Amino acid sequence: MKVLILDGSREGDSLTPVAVLGMTSALAGRVDNVELFKLRDLVIAPCAGCFGCWTRTPGECVIEDSARDVLRSYVGSDIVVYATPVTFGGYSSQLKKILDRFIPVLDPRFTTVGSEVRHLLRYRRCPKTIGLGTLPSPDAEAERLFARLVVQNGLNIHQTVESIVLVGVADPESARCSAEKLLERAGVTS
Amino acid sequence: MNAMILIGSPKGRKSASFSLASKLAEGLRENDVSVSYELVHAGLRTEEGTRRLLEAVDGSDLVVLAFPLYVDSLPAPLTRLLELVAERRSRVASPGTPRLAAIVQCGFPESHHCDTAVEICRLFAERTGMRWTGAVAMGMGGSIGGDIRRLPGGGKNILDALIMTAESLAKGGAIPVEATTLFARPLMPRWMYTLFGNLGWRMQMRKYKARRPLTYRPYSQG
Repeated sequence: MKVLILDGSREGDSLTPVAVLGMTSALAGRVDNVELFKLRDLVIAPCAGCFGCWTRTPGECVIEDSARDVLRSYVGSDIVVYATPVTFGGYSSQLKKILDRFIPVLDPRFTTVGSEVRHLLRYRRCPKTIGLGTLPSPDAEAERLFARLVVQNGLNIHQTVESIVLVGVADPESARCSAEKLLERAGVTS
Repeated sequence: MNAMILIGSPKGRKSASFSLASKLAEGLRENDVSVSYELVHAGLRTEEGTRRLLEAVDGSDLVVLAFPLYVDSLPAPLTRLLELVAERRSRVASPGTPRLAAIVQCGFPESHHCDTAVEICRLFAERTGMRWTGAVAMGMGGSIGGDIRRLPGGGKNILDALIMTAESLAKGGAIPVEATTLFARPLMPRWMYTLFGNLGWRMQMRKYKARRPLTYRPYSQG
């Protein structure tokens, strides 16, 4: 089993790296392959909104940068972890810059999922999504919104998701315990 | 009163977001509001542009975010701008209390896909001491070319909603519920939008002479 961790921490963010460390520890012994991308160290251009990945070079973004490596890893993974400071209930811009570039995994044609219209999937399956948010202090509204956003992202790839927000967790051991619970909920057992 | 419209689409002035925002701007100007635009993607590419964006937010009575829905929320550069604005406002003793509104459109037929993005904007306003005045959000954004009046029904619902929005914002009020409801009303039946949409992707592939099938999978799943 392969797990991809997308580290969306911002400059000066002390909590998300701890959450990533906790997740990495929790995965040790459970899976045989973990790949981590620290997104703020990668040059990833914003999505240009051109839909070239659907109409010019189907399945591949027309921009040649590190996003291609991340997308290749995503397609080959069983689980993807979105690690991010919860930003007004959403993701950090560092995480968002790669998620905006993930649309080549979708087929542009519409289909119905539940009662809503979504896109078809390009690949047989997408990795199961796990949201791992961090906040410095309790913010029930931001936590609720984050959970909802991860659920919606899951619907885009026709699947259910799991998420958690670690509030003020600054020690790796506590982060590992929380990550273990999250992985169990997601069905990732040793 | 002065208003700053921040265009969050990478397509800038050629975007559906700009088409919608420019109609709101017309309505605001008719109500004696001074309106200017900034393109977020272009602005954030340079330090000078970033500084200009931040100062524009600081100096405005009303800030309007106009953007397409990207993966259920705001496009990454617009998210980056909100982070920068929040950082800046947290450092300033009296950052002022501009009002914040949003115009959101998505490519799915249902407007409610935009709800989470609108909530993110609201939470941003509340956490940074700005005053939230509401949003208008619509689905079927893929139908918007340049001129809104060429949409089915002459785009009447959209135009009426933006006029109502402009009048209320110009008076210092919030976006009326009637405007939100009208703006969200589907432009055509859902089946028709998805049918034309699916045909449209194939037509664009032919136009661009794509050498791969629509379903091509460039990456292996192992």
